[in-house]
Amino acid sequence: MCDACGCDLKPEHSHDSKVIEVHQSLLAANTAMAEKNRAHIEKMGAVAINMISSPGSGKTTLLEKTIEAIGNSIRIGVIEGDIETDRDAQRIRAKGVPVIQLTTGGACHLDAAQIHKGLHLLEKEPGGAKLDLLFIENVGNLVCPATFDLGEHHRIVLVSVPEGPDKPAKYPKAFHSSQVFIISKTDLLPYFDFPVEEAKAEALQLNPNLLVMDLSATSGEGFDQWLDYLKELCENDD
Amino acid sequence: MHEMSLVQGLLGQLHKLAREHNKEKVISVCMEIGPLSGVVIDSFQFGFDILAKDEALTRDAKLIIDSPPATYRCFGCGMEIKAEQRPESCLHCSETLFSPEGSDDLVLLRVEME
Repeated sequence: MCDACGCDLKPEHSHDSKVIEVHQSLLAANTAMAEKNRAHIEKMGAVAINMISSPGSGKTTLLEKTIEAIGNSIRIGVIEGDIETDRDAQRIRAKGVPVIQLTTGGACHLDAAQIHKGLHLLEKEPGGAKLDLLFIENVGNLVCPATFDLGEHHRIVLVSVPEGPDKPAKYPKAFHSSQVFIISKTDLLPYFDFPVEEAKAEALQLNPNLLVMDLSATSGEGFDQWLDYLKELCENDD
Repeated sequence: MHEMSLVQGLLGQLHKLAREHNKEKVISVCMEIGPLSGVVIDSFQFGFDILAKDEALTRDAKLIIDSPPATYRCFGCGMEIKAEQRPESCLHCSETLFSPEGSDDLVLLRVEME
């Protein structure tokens, strides 16, 4: 072991060298920006939710139905994250709420710097400066987004029935770091082998603090619990 | 997938440190990667090997990664358990639920430069 730095290298390197103790997180810059975003979002009056799931789990459909159900009682804004296209933003815009689309151009996750930019753009949209609830729909990916704090207050992980019940065990980080776990597309339960209670138990095994809900945005089943959760989140924020 | 962008962040930090300390070459980089960080250590090492070669500063740098065991807190009695794998049950109260505590960071510990 090298005497100078305690590393495992043989002591072959020159000891004109200098060991610099850093002890700083590689995520420090992102985390610092996320803290600024959180303060910014709170100044806008909003609570922010970061939605994480695989592509096609129904994040955008859940948002569409949520906006329809909530109407004007809660001011909603949305930041959409995708690798390419503004299709999701178009779908949300059609529901009449302020939305901006961030395209990452290949990157597999949103980071705090992108959200910082997104917040400034959202504020310029009609109705975008004062919000109660800000949804950030992350890039469809159950792995990478879990590492990056965006400045959200709550993180939600979604798994849809066709994906199968083994996602918590396979992608633990997303479940460790979330507050809510949603099993979506429950209207498809008759056609897929998805033991709901087992999936819930497995997720709670990973993170006993998770709030677990199952719902279908298409049939409306389980939607009341979801809307109550959102209302409570906004009320606690007042 | 995101390991590459994290390696880019690390290289940026190494350049900054080299400027601050007036050094031209990185000899070794010691990192601690938490087992719950969601980062694949082999992919991180692979990304470093590829990207570090592109720059004179880091061309010969060795990356040393330490991954300490994760910390879990028992949901029943609150005891802290350090383990490589999620424990089956608590040795104190036989509770089977545990909350992971931290163990999810990537820390640049120290850099040797000349």
